[in-house]
Amino acid sequence: MMSTTEKAMEAFVHETGGWVAAQLEACTRCGMCAEACHFYQATGNPEYAPVWKMELLRRAYEQRFTIIGGVKATLGLDKRVTDEDLAHWSDLNYEACTVCNKCSMVCPMGIDIGSLLHGMRAGLAAAEVIPADLAAAVTKQVNEGSPLGMTDTVWDQRLEWVADEWEVEIPRDVKGATTMVVFSSIEVMKFPANVAAIAKILNKAGEKWTVSSKAREIVNFGFYEGSEEHTKLFLNRVLDGAKDLGVKRIVVTECGHAYDALRWHAANWIPEASNFDVIHITGVLGELVGSGRIKIKPGFFDNGGKITFHDACKIQRKGGHIQEPRDILKVLAPNSFTEMTPNREESVCCGGGGGVIAVKAADPVRYASFELKIDQVNAVGAKTVSMTCSNCRLQFTDSVDHFKLDWKVAGLSQMVADALEE
Amino acid sequence: MPEETIKKNLVDKGVSRRDFLKLSGLLAAAMGMQLPPLQESGLPMSLGTPVRGAQTEHAILHALETKMRLPVIWLEFQDCTGCTEAVSRSVSPSLTNLVLNTLTIEYHETLSAAAGYQVEQAKQEAMKKYAGQYILVVEGSIPLANDGAYCVIGGRTALEHLKEAASGAAAIIAVGNCAAYGGLPKAKPNPTDAKGVWEIITDKPVVNISGCPAIPEATTGTIAHFAIFGTLPELDNLNRPKTFYGKTVHDRCLRRPFYEAGKFALSFDDEGAREGHCLYKLGCKGPTTYNACASIKWDQGLSFPVQSGHPCLGCSEPNFWDGGGFYQGQSAPLDRPTVAAVGAAVGAGAALGIGAALVNQSRKKAKKGGS
Amino acid sequence: MNSQAVLEFARGPFFYFALLFMLFGLAFRLFSVISLGWSRDRVSPMGSKTKGVVVTFLKAFLIWPFIPWVKNTFNRNPLIYIGGGLFHLSLFVVIILGTPHMLVWKSLIGFGWATLPLPIVDWMSAIGIIAMVILLINRRIHPVLKLISGPAEFFAWLFVFLPMLTGYMMTHHIGGSYEALYARHMITVDVLMIWIPLSRISHFVFYFFSRAIHGQEFGKRGVAV
Repeated sequence: MMSTTEKAMEAFVHETGGWVAAQLEACTRCGMCAEACHFYQATGNPEYAPVWKMELLRRAYEQRFTIIGGVKATLGLDKRVTDEDLAHWSDLNYEACTVCNKCSMVCPMGIDIGSLLHGMRAGLAAAEVIPADLAAAVTKQVNEGSPLGMTDTVWDQRLEWVADEWEVEIPRDVKGATTMVVFSSIEVMKFPANVAAIAKILNKAGEKWTVSSKAREIVNFGFYEGSEEHTKLFLNRVLDGAKDLGVKRIVVTECGHAYDALRWHAANWIPEASNFDVIHITGVLGELVGSGRIKIKPGFFDNGGKITFHDACKIQRKGGHIQEPRDILKVLAPNSFTEMTPNREESVCCGGGGGVIAVKAADPVRYASFELKIDQVNAVGAKTVSMTCSNCRLQFTDSVDHFKLDWKVAGLSQMVADALEE
Repeated sequence: MPEETIKKNLVDKGVSRRDFLKLSGLLAAAMGMQLPPLQESGLPMSLGTPVRGAQTEHAILHALETKMRLPVIWLEFQDCTGCTEAVSRSVSPSLTNLVLNTLTIEYHETLSAAAGYQVEQAKQEAMKKYAGQYILVVEGSIPLANDGAYCVIGGRTALEHLKEAASGAAAIIAVGNCAAYGGLPKAKPNPTDAKGVWEIITDKPVVNISGCPAIPEATTGTIAHFAIFGTLPELDNLNRPKTFYGKTVHDRCLRRPFYEAGKFALSFDDEGAREGHCLYKLGCKGPTTYNACASIKWDQGLSFPVQSGHPCLGCSEPNFWDGGGFYQGQSAPLDRPTVAAVGAAVGAGAALGIGAALVNQSRKKAKKGGS
Repeated sequence: MNSQAVLEFARGPFFYFALLFMLFGLAFRLFSVISLGWSRDRVSPMGSKTKGVVVTFLKAFLIWPFIPWVKNTFNRNPLIYIGGGLFHLSLFVVIILGTPHMLVWKSLIGFGWATLPLPIVDWMSAIGIIAMVILLINRRIHPVLKLISGPAEFFAWLFVFLPMLTGYMMTHHIGGSYEALYARHMITVDVLMIWIPLSRISHFVFYFFSRAIHGQEFGKRGVAV
């Protein structure tokens, strides 16, 4: 029976190809990445420095793969990894890291720290040293198809209710549709208006779209966890659904991590994934508004105080949909739309992504890091914060509640839907 | 005729008392016995006016008046006679000439009128007669390879000659880089296994007057020191008299300000060369070369290589011939790896690196399969 | 052994060995990393990877070193940017534009170039030395740097610092005869060259990989790098 540590070490080693090794070797341990991390900024805890969060990955690589590292470990100059270490780094990585990759923006060596931190998670997941609530959510998604308990029946009932409530048609399991939309359970369960909004927009645009009862959950807790096995399992559910319906493209709704997994990683794990165009709803909105397939009322949101836009790490910085939301907001609120600083790819993370919001023990640091966001928003004096990620939105609504703020938190799709010209 | 005093010998040759006093002061200056030492001032020795009334001058005066002339045996081995040339070319009324006159050179291959068996006979007699009194001057390196076959005089090897002459010598002075440190004959690959005197004679004091050739004033000054005081001057760690070898050529160089200002001649015919800029980039070895060239200079203080526009070769330092190219910067490494050596190192590193990576890859696969 | 002989050793066989060892070691490090295998990226890009790589290198060489405050983290820890930046700038100026160093390159690669006057190089090296001292102090007191620094970091610092210090002492003739100072400088340089492949000082080799990966990752997503 392999020890927990050994399992983790093997997973680390397995993660380490030339791509990872070259980047680990490039690190000069200058510590600059700490200054980019919102958890470090908020708490000043040096252990939240990204370079320290991936310490075990470095140790595994150096001690297993390099002669010098092996010698150092033998001489006791480099610490060996223990079970306690795994537990400790599990806390650091799952509670105080959203894998937002801001650190990569400041690394003087340009190391893609976010992906190395994902490697850390892979090792911890392989050793099953993950927070209990996250593990429970993964198990739930494996068994029920959704971490938020959105079983077949629940999904069915919710969509029916949404269609009823907002009087919107949601085409289901339509074979031959071009576009398959996969919602996240966060939207279906907590922000149903978003589901209605997207449906309304796509119908208005005359898009041949559908949802799939097989591919009903886009959220990928396996990706949060870092387990390749679970990530693939959940990705395959989506891809199988798409294959069954014969669609050309898959639209990921407002969920960042899921978009990252499906758009930027799936093809490297599952070759069939490259048969589909994967696009985020933000991209779709940009396309529809830009081409004039839908018309939105200019200045529709100009009278409700300042509006600002929160860039999500996985959709904007790591997803590329930076310009579209701005183009749309400039139409919707040409006078009241104001940028926060920093913004775009340099934006500050909401603090709830990467599964952090699902981990109860992370609440204190999660709220602490949200204070950075509060300062940012207050600096521009915005009353409405718009965003394109329901995970960010969950963090925002929860924190607005926690800090008793008087902001409005708005999903961009909903804003577009509200401002549609009849 | 070593029995007569130095002064009598000079007076017999028509040197006036006034000139004699001048020469005493000059000698004191050359040996750095006076404050301020003439050579420290950077002025050419022969142009200098002796400072009157100094105590040292009187000491020398007294010594010259009372000391007997000094017998010298001058041996030449693997040499070019350049050092002899340098000493003998000096013209009157120079210090060099004076000192030469105060010596009785009992044996000198190049200067002796006699030759062959006769001159060898004379040497044997002199060594016997002045045993324990004579100065042995050696010019040229001593080859040890093939039982010394590369340098044989009168049927005997240089090594035998040296050992024989050294055994009765009061002091030994190795003149020129060859005698001091092996010089040119020792340059790579050193086919004759050339050695300097002090590597062979270890039981007697050996003074090294290095240089290629040695500065004549340094040679004669050292001999005069021994003649007058009966002792050898203070030496540095390479057995060179500190008086002449205490400072580097760079320290006293007239182009030094240009070095500090970063103004360099880049070739022998560029603007910098015409303006007299520093020759460092043209390979000048002045910074690590201990010699009096920049202060005593050559040919009665006329000039020295750097002044004339040529970088210092570092000829007073051991192994100067192998000290990197003459026109290659002082800072350059001595041995440049060949392309083949670099290729081999990189190739070996790459091969071992790929090997290590393959081992790691197979480990990765084995583990993945096992789990 | 007198310093002339030590110098001869340090400029001769020791330098020769150190140089070849460094090349050997760096080749070993490089190939043991790049031969670990690179999986092909099958993800269809949204932007140009090549453009991302080009842009990130241009920014890294032309913008960030000279106007670091475009990075918003600059304000949070300017010391590390300025100290680190000045150290590297000093290093490049001294070892490429310093006359004696250029002559080393010339002897090794066969051609030389114009150099800066001694006073400028001298000031740059003084700045580099001061920057190094400040960076060391910072490493000793900054909580993050304290946490991530072990013996390896301090050895690397020491072996980089010593040649800088001995070089400065040599230029100013502090602490001994010229060839003794020169010998000391060369020995520390030789030790540094041996230490480079054994430590993270070799980051300059892997920099090109990590920077290229960065450009590629951001470029393929169509995000500014």
